[in-house]
Formats: sequence, C-alpha cells, structure tokens
Amino acid sequence: MAGRIRPIGLIAATTATLFLATACGGASLGTGEGDKQNGPLKIGLLVPQSGTYKALGDDMKQGFELYVQRHGGRLGGREVEIVVADEGESADSGKAAAEKLVKQDHVLAVSGVVSSATINGVKDLFESAKVPLVGSNASPTTLTGTKYIWRTSYVNDEPGKALGKYVAEKAGGPVFLIAAGYQAGKDEVEGFKSTFLPAGGKIAGEEVYTPFPATKNFQPYLAQIERSGAKSVFCFYAGGAAVDFVKQYRDFGLAGKIPLYAPGFLTEGGVLKGQGEAAEGILTALNYGADLDNAANKQFAPAYTAAYGSAPTTYAMASWDAAQVLDKAIKSAGSTVTSETVNAAIAAVGDIDSPRGTWHFNAGGTPVQPWYLREVKQGANTVSSELVRLGG
Amino acid sequence: MYGWLDGNFVSVIDGVAFGLLLFTIAVGLSLVFGMMDVLNLAHGTLYLAGAYIAYALSDGSLWGLLLALAAGALVGACGGAALTFLTQPLARRGHLDQAVLTLGITFIVADLLAAAFGGEVLPTDPPRSLRGTVDLLGHAYPLYRLVFIGVATGLATAVYLLFERSPLGALVRATVADRDMVRALGVDIRKVLYGVFALGAALAVAGGVLGAPILGPGPGVDETVLVLSLVVVVVGGLGSVRGALVGALLIGQVQTLGVALLPEYAPFLLFGTMLAVLVVRPHGLVPSGVGA
Repeated sequence: MAGRIRPIGLIAATTATLFLATACGGASLGTGEGDKQNGPLKIGLLVPQSGTYKALGDDMKQGFELYVQRHGGRLGGREVEIVVADEGESADSGKAAAEKLVKQDHVLAVSGVVSSATINGVKDLFESAKVPLVGSNASPTTLTGTKYIWRTSYVNDEPGKALGKYVAEKAGGPVFLIAAGYQAGKDEVEGFKSTFLPAGGKIAGEEVYTPFPATKNFQPYLAQIERSGAKSVFCFYAGGAAVDFVKQYRDFGLAGKIPLYAPGFLTEGGVLKGQGEAAEGILTALNYGADLDNAANKQFAPAYTAAYGSAPTTYAMASWDAAQVLDKAIKSAGSTVTSETVNAAIAAVGDIDSPRGTWHFNAGGTPVQPWYLREVKQGANTVSSELVRLGG
Repeated sequence: MYGWLDGNFVSVIDGVAFGLLLFTIAVGLSLVFGMMDVLNLAHGTLYLAGAYIAYALSDGSLWGLLLALAAGALVGACGGAALTFLTQPLARRGHLDQAVLTLGITFIVADLLAAAFGGEVLPTDPPRSLRGTVDLLGHAYPLYRLVFIGVATGLATAVYLLFERSPLGALVRATVADRDMVRALGVDIRKVLYGVFALGAALAVAGGVLGAPILGPGPGVDETVLVLSLVVVVVGGLGSVRGALVGALLIGQVQTLGVALLPEYAPFLLFGTMLAVLVVRPHGLVPSGVGA
C-alpha cells in the first residue's frame, strides 16, 4: 500500500473518529440491571451493526430474534431480554463489545460473532468468565480445546471437504482451483483437496490465490482457466469479490461451458441479488438451503420470509439454532440458571431438530450435520442432493 | 510467437480497456494535483458516486446509460466546484491539511452512500444492446468492454486536445506556471481553478458511470479506485494528460498481462512497477515539466 499517503495526522484523526464511534455505540446500548432470579434473563447478541459485515449481522440477528419471538419472548420458559452489541469490522471492536456484554451487562450467555478474528480474540474472555458463547458463524479450524465456546455453524474447511469427492466423480477431467488469497480461502482449498485428491481428482495446472481484496478484474485468471483445459472450476469467494468473479465468469463466456463449484458463500444471501442471472447454474455446497423439505424448515423458512421479506440464509438458520440450543439448555438447567449450569446443559443438549436436518454437537463443540449440493435456479439456491455428513 | 500472442491476446486487449478506465479516472486527480497543487483524496468517492448513479438510472436501455452519463457529469462538475471551494482556504497550509479534509469528506460521503444503497455490491449491467460477447481469435470477450475502449479513446483524445493543444489549455498551463502574470493579463484565476477541478471531477464521475459494469458500486470500491489512481499518477508523472495516459495504459497491462504471465507475483506487480518507475524516473515517466 505504498501508494497511500498516511501522515501522522491522518492516523490521529481516524483513531479519534473510531474511538468516538465506539464510545457512542457502547453508551447507547442497554442498562445495567442486576440479575434477579425471576427477572428476564439477559442474552447477548454480538453481531456487526456497522461496516462490511453488517448484512451478515442483520441475518444473524433476525434469525435469533425470530426464534425468541415465536416462543413468546421466552427461552427455556424464562422471559429473556436480548442485548445487542456491535461487533464492528475488526477484532478490537468485537472484543470491546464482548467485554461490555460480559462485564457490564452480565449476560447469561452470548450468541453471534461473524468474524474469525473476533472469535479468536474473545476466546480467553469467555473461557475465563465462564460464560457460554453459542457462536452462529465464525469457526476457524484453529479454534479447539475450549469449554465455553460452541458453534452452531460449521468449521471453515468443511464446505470444501463436503464437495471434494462429488466433484472428483463428476468433473470428468482436471479441475481448476482458484480462491481469494487469505486464510479462509486457503482453508477451503485445503479442505476441498483433502477429499478431492483421495477420490482420484486431478488439479488443472497450479492452484491460484488472487490478491485479496485488491483483485477486481479477474480477466487474466479467467484466461488461465480457459487455457488450462479444466473440465470444472472450484472457487472460494465471498462478498463483493463473489459478485465480481461470478459476473466476469459469465461476461468472458465461461458460464455454461465450464461448471463452477464453490462453498455456499459464493451465492448466499445478498451477493446472489448482486450477481443476478450470472449466477444461474452455479453449484455450491452448504449445510442449508431455504427450500429444504423437512418439518423444522417448514416452520422456519416461511415464517422468516414473511417477517423479513427474503429467504433465510445459513447465517440466519444457524442463529435460529443457537436460540434453540439455549432454549433447551436453559430449560434443562432447571431451578438454578447460571452461566455455568447453562454451559453444562449445552454439553448435554443432544439432538437439535433444525431446519437443516437433525444435528448434535461433537466433542469440539461444532455440529455433526448433513451437507447439501445446491444449484442456483431462477435466482434462488435450490437443494439438489445430500452430499455427505461431516463433523464426526 | 503466434501461440504466445494467441494465448495472451485477450489479456492485452483487456489491459487496454482497463488502462483506459484508469485513465478516465486518474487524469482528473493528476491535473488537479499537478496544476492546482490540491491533493484530493476524495477522488475515489467521485468514481463511486458515478457507479451508484449508473446503478440507479440504468434501465437496460442505451438512453438510461446516456442519462446517467449526463447526470454524472453534472454531479461531478458540482462536486468538483464544491471541493475547490472547500480546499482553497487550505491552499497555503500544505498537503496534509488537504488530505485530512478530503479524506474526511470520503468517510462522510461513503457512509451516506452506504445508508442510501446498502452495504452490498449492487448489480450493474451494461445496456441490453451492449451485452454478450464477441469472438476475438476464438476467445469470448465482453462486447461492452470493446465499446468502452472506443468511448474512452474518444474521451482521452478530447481531454488531450483541450489541455495540450487548445488556447484554453495554454491558459490553464500559463496559470500554473505564473499566476500573477496571468492575473495581470486580466484573467479571473478563480474561474480557471474551478474549471479544472470541475472537469477533473466530472471525468471521474463519468468514469464511474461507464465503469460500473466493470468495477461495480459497493463499499470499498472508492478505496480501490483511489489507490489505483494514485499509482497511475505516480507512475505517469504529475499534471500531464500524456503522463496519465502512459501511466494508466502501463498499469492496465501490468494488471492483466502481467498477472497472466507471472501469476505467482500478482500481489506485488502493481507496487513493484511503481517502485521500479520511481527508482528510474522519480518524477514519473512523462512529467509535465511545470513545477516538477
């Protein structure tokens, strides 16, 4: 970033702005009311309310709130008060918001957390305060050995793992691997290779990591794909880069010629709208699709669409499940509801009847769950088959 | 040789398209900095505003695009005039104050745009008649990008003739070289200053309108565009139309052909090129010669 001009004054001004923003954000939220045995239980929601990840944070907040709302404002039979804190964009803003929830608001448990950097940053806080964090998104492969941190989502490399064998069997030739050049991209590609190569899959040329977030013009990479003679492409992109990549894949004539496989984020939520018809036919792996045919999803998906005007995403579904986990755990914690008794109850919560299908926590605190192959049809992700069960 | 050309032909053409897009954006930054000594870090925001205008007004027809261009030019000219008004009092206080002011404007406008259009990348497609691909030596290439090359070449020629071959351009260059002399001749200097800034800003916004199908609107695009523009200006040399063109075409090729030939060095190519140029020619490849 040598082209940028950053004198001391700029840094000072920026820091001051950010400081004020955080201070105001913190002050406007909640009032510190002591825990009473019969008063409402406080549950913290740590999700981005500002910045790049706001759209994800909204999905997660909506999924959690919908569950509580549909259960009469109660979890485990007890009235709850949801305290929302802004995760922001960075590990620092996320940590500050988590500290506030735990130390100032004295919440019983926390859900949410979008970014891997945040969950790594707050790990010690939750472990030492002995407050359960039922995370519903961020789940880096490195997060292990915790007692108070649970995830209702999945481990970062699982979407790739879920696809590997299927693509190896379907491709009928070498597959080109391309991903955003940061940790999550590498995790996904490694996960993909871990099941793709043993199943006899061949890689076309070298795997490519595009500079992130600088790459906006994918033409040279698309030319490489064309020249490599690949029969299929596996890619990992999310957010704005997912929109750029998918549209240019169509613009340069590769769509319809070389099938495009990816972890579900490529076409999940708001990005799908941005891609428009360019996304048609893209195949992705994810633990959820809004059209899944099971009893729990028939309750969840229509209610969500009616409440918020768009189909639920995996982020919303995982947050709905986080509320469900807390619901069951608080109920079984019985007469003495404390953070520690609830955490112990989460460990014994058993099967969760989820819109994604039934799942349960493994020893690492992440779900053992089904994975699905989805295809974009008429602007929506449509589940076409179940791929595999992962997490065990 | 033919095989090499055939394999990279599309990348070369795309480098020209990308380079001309960079020129349309960066020439305003270069002129305003080189001629008026105003460091405008809100330049990327002008592009972003143009891209949002294209999104809001594009209805799939060619008229929608032309309407967006007209609206963009107007918004750009007004934005440029407003920026002149705001930065003039800081003229004597140096670049740091200008940077702080214009960066502050960037934050405010970016937040306003995010509030109005949301935090996601928005779909911006070319007009219906310009969609689809054409065949270049057996490779598919988007028709819109070819049309863009034509339109941007026209714009570049017009800007070049205006600044380097017309009496008006001579007046502007004279103002840069010796304000007092030009003022003594009875010319209103302020008009020249406002005019250059308004034109530079209008070009950036127009670049946003035309570039939206290539570099679509969304949070963060303003920063990407600002950094690319600064690199183009540093490589090409400040304050000259030719410098901006040479810099933009070079960076366009680095970003397409360079990445295609040396993919493993992709993350370093952009700034590596800038570094190499700075070492060999500290004032850029084609400095204006005025005040350099």
